Amino acid sequence: MTMQTIVQTIARTLDQEMSQDERVVVMGEDVGKRGGVFLATENLFDKYGPDRVIDTPLSEAAIIGAAVGMAVHGMRPVAEIQFADYVYPGFDQLVSQAAKLRYRSGGQFSAPMVVRMPAGGGVGGGHHHSQNPESHFVHTAGLKVVYPSTPIDTRGLLRTAIRDEDPVVFMEPKRLYRAVKEEIPEDDDTLIPLGQARVRREGDDVVLVSYGGSMGETLKAADELERQDVSAHVIDLRSLMPWDRSTVLEAVARVGRVVLVSEAPRSLGFMSEVSATITEQVLDSLLAPPMRVTGFDIPYPFAYDREYLPGPNRILAAVQQVLDY
Amino acid sequence: MIKGSPSFQPFSEKPISLIGENGEWTGSFDLTLDDGELESFYRDLVAARVLDERLVRLQRMGKISFVAPSSGHEGPQVAVARSVRKGRDWLYPYYRDTALVMALGVPVAETVGQMMATRADPNKGRQMPAHAGSKELNVFAVASPIASHIAPAVGTAISMKLQGKGDVVVTTFGEGATSEGDFHAAINFAGAQGAPIVFVCQNNRYAISVGYNRQTAAENIAAKARAYGMPGYTVDGMDPLACYYVIREAVERAREGVGPALVEANVYRYGPHSPADDDTRYRPAEEVESWRKRDPLIRMRRFLEKRGLWDDDQEKKMREEIDEEQRKAVQQAEASGKVPREWMFDDVYSEVPEHLAEQRDSLG
Ligand SMILES: Cc1ncc(C[n+]2csc(CCOP(=O)(O)OP(=O)(O)O)c2C)c(N)n1
Repeated sequence: MTMQTIVQTIARTLDQEMSQDERVVVMGEDVGKRGGVFLATENLFDKYGPDRVIDTPLSEAAIIGAAVGMAVHGMRPVAEIQFADYVYPGFDQLVSQAAKLRYRSGGQFSAPMVVRMPAGGGVGGGHHHSQNPESHFVHTAGLKVVYPSTPIDTRGLLRTAIRDEDPVVFMEPKRLYRAVKEEIPEDDDTLIPLGQARVRREGDDVVLVSYGGSMGETLKAADELERQDVSAHVIDLRSLMPWDRSTVLEAVARVGRVVLVSEAPRSLGFMSEVSATITEQVLDSLLAPPMRVTGFDIPYPFAYDREYLPGPNRILAAVQQVLDY
Repeated sequence: MIKGSPSFQPFSEKPISLIGENGEWTGSFDLTLDDGELESFYRDLVAARVLDERLVRLQRMGKISFVAPSSGHEGPQVAVARSVRKGRDWLYPYYRDTALVMALGVPVAETVGQMMATRADPNKGRQMPAHAGSKELNVFAVASPIASHIAPAVGTAISMKLQGKGDVVVTTFGEGATSEGDFHAAINFAGAQGAPIVFVCQNNRYAISVGYNRQTAAENIAAKARAYGMPGYTVDGMDPLACYYVIREAVERAREGVGPALVEANVYRYGPHSPADDDTRYRPAEEVESWRKRDPLIRMRRFLEKRGLWDDDQEKKMREEIDEEQRKAVQQAEASGKVPREWMFDDVYSEVPEHLAEQRDSLG
């Protein structure tokens, strides 16, 4: 057993997957000698060398595009985009090539690959180091989207993502990279299926649904609610495409009140989908309308980082609204 | 390297040519193709032209919705198909490569099936016409966003390098594609990795209506290779044998581990860009005519005639055979029937997820 942070878990998991499957290669800007700017690929270069830990040119289009071509040719590339905010130069490769290859070839070709990217705010990075572009990916049929919030989940999901037959966008909550630690057994080889949520806390008065970086604030809000004698049922979605509708719908049907928390911009954000699904499926059980607590529809503001992110106070205010409804 | 052929000089001032306009061999080395190979090379060129004209007719008849005419582009396309090891090397073509996929061996019924979205299409009717893709022959499924296939092509080449089996990728595109970021990102990565890939630009002077000198101020496309640390060759694309010898040499050098190369073939598109395009709005008829005089089929035929390998009877017989083969292939493609509607939900992911199964069932 060792205590590990999310970012340590990533490096370890990559190492294990690379040692078990020689098709797995890691590629990206600074992933080699430097071990990644966040050290998520630390020590891999020394162990596997430049052919399996590829320091690429500074081009997201080249990284993601080449990963498609490697995957289609039998490799299992794990590409790192240094920050989710820099996926856009490679966005066409993700959306036009990776996502649609299986479909457009009638199942003849596929691109089993993982594109990892640290995402989210709260690190003083301004709007080009803080964004949450997950909606773009969820909206693109053919991509799977994962966004864990704990070391154990990161490990089990990253492993599954690498072994998955489809392209997976693997988003990592960078403000939790070193903020959360969990005990992980050395020989743990659990695979967590994509599309399965995790109940982080059981409760009966209100359901809180979140994922990624916002899980931190959501759990803080749940702690505070407990002090106020309100019992919150907290669900961590972990995967956004596919997502675990039944876990959410069952909890909401049972409890009748739900608050959806995501730091991504509000309009057409992932929680809009969750909210719509809830109202379509379990409207009769609802005691209050589902409430979204999200980032605003503005570029991420450097100076008002904490105001932009849905912090515990905004979550608590929304909970109050659904309780009082 | 091809035995007996000298290395070509990159960055030459004039396009490399081996057959004169009257069909005479002007190469400084002896031809290495035997008579049978020369005849089948010519047959591929003619079959491609006949297919292109047939597809344009099918489009006018309303049987297919779109074509990307390839007449005038046969030289480099057939040359690429004849330069690779079929089923080993990989091709990353673009939408105008009908001649390439045909010469490579993709059955005409499959190509027409793709155009008509019938069951004869191994791609299951997922894409607009002129978007080939064949796993069997390692033809990566064509995508529409210009230049977006070039980075995946480089990825496959890097993968080949790591596997060390001496396989090669050839990717093709128009000169318009060389303005996209993806082209530069990809060719740069290939250079840095020494990946076994040959970039073949079919420079037909127009990207839809935008002429070459509005596309780039570079003297030619091959010159761009300098910046990426690889040789760049300009070839007379209307000279099928020049295309063949240069591309073949680049492919073999990549196979030997020398690294990537960029080959620019100067071709001309005789037809409009697509059925929706009226090319008389942006190019004079005289220009098209002057390029017709340089037709690669005429050039190759004169070459064969000069060697005593070809006459009118052979021509007539071959054309009848090709016509008959293609007529049957079109029938076969049509007869296989439209792809079923439920297939629409397959192959988005490796398995049909719950939400898509629901959406499929909601079709009723
Ligand atoms: C990214 C992108 N932008 C625009 C288009 C629309 N488009 C289709 S073909 C074409 C011209 C391409 O010219 P070129 O690369 O020279 O090839 P050619 O068609 O001349 O063979 C354009 C602009 C596209 N398919 N993709």
